Amino acid sequence: MMLKTLVIIPAFNEAEAITGIVREVLAQPVRVAVLVVDDGSSDDTSVRAAAAGAMVVRLPFNLGIGGAVQTGYRYALRHGYDIAVQVDGDGQHDPLFLATLIRPVIDGEADMSIGSRFLIKQDGFRSSACRRVGIRFFSALIRCLTRRTVTDPTSGFRACGRRFIRVFAAYYPSDYPEPEAVMVVHRLGGGLAEVPVVMRARRSGVSSIAFLKPFYYMLKVSGAILLHMLKNRKVYEP
Amino acid sequence: MTIQWLALILSLIVLVLVLELVRREKLTFKYAFAWLFLSMLGVICSVFRELLFSMASLCGFELASNFIFFAILCAFVFLSLLMTVFLCQQNKRNDKMAQAIGLLEQELRELKGRTDGR
Repeated sequence: MMLKTLVIIPAFNEAEAITGIVREVLAQPVRVAVLVVDDGSSDDTSVRAAAAGAMVVRLPFNLGIGGAVQTGYRYALRHGYDIAVQVDGDGQHDPLFLATLIRPVIDGEADMSIGSRFLIKQDGFRSSACRRVGIRFFSALIRCLTRRTVTDPTSGFRACGRRFIRVFAAYYPSDYPEPEAVMVVHRLGGGLAEVPVVMRARRSGVSSIAFLKPFYYMLKVSGAILLHMLKNRKVYEP
Repeated sequence: MTIQWLALILSLIVLVLVLELVRREKLTFKYAFAWLFLSMLGVICSVFRELLFSMASLCGFELASNFIFFAILCAFVFLSLLMTVFLCQQNKRNDKMAQAIGLLEQELRELKGRTDGR
């Protein structure tokens, strides 16, 4: 039986990169549908995405990555998809790894599969030292709290199955949601898997984490991760 | 001394209350951030009151209590300004949402009319 797979691409002003990324995803041997969630872009991201062969949802204003991705999960739930994959709209994630990424979910080994940049030697592009330190910190924090190893909890290159499509359609964290989504999977007793992927330099746009924000980012994410351990599981359940 | 305890207890109550609201998802972290920051500042100031006294004299207050009133007032001005900013943002979004729905409805009616006419 063919599993229906949806690739969700959140994009905010990614007109330069979006055509390439949509085409690359569609060129993969895995058959997938592509949904670009245009998060209130002021450029022609949505026009280009549609021209490249993606389905497009345009949000009337910028919701931020969490809200954009959740729109994708809601679409996946509504249209009965079995697997939802998140791929960033900036070209950072190489769709070549799509099949590897969804494998653990298809095989039923995990509810969520995360593409990690730390399990394989990255040739060429490496994220900045600061960023790597930050990621390692979150990874250590999550290991401390959950006794689970997630080497790259900030990676937005991930896939999940029906169970968490349903959960995330109802509850998805807002700003800087990736590590928090890992916590949600943990709190609901879901299985996590990581697969090695090579990440590329972003093709366009700037990281949503720029300038003064690292400080707020670290505090917010650490605080939020801690609070997820205290939350009643009911808040996540659809 | 008792005033110090009172201040400490009060800021701890606010801190715990905000944490509990976030925990129950009644408050998202983004909006709770300023409250958390200020209530923690309150806890710190009530524990280390020398800090407060030296700050008061540094700012030229004769009475530390006046400085505390002043600081709390400043905190509330800041918080209410922040709330107004959030409110404006919501207002703008609400307007856009209404417009988006209106436009969609019009498009849908037109499409329906076209298919009915056929």
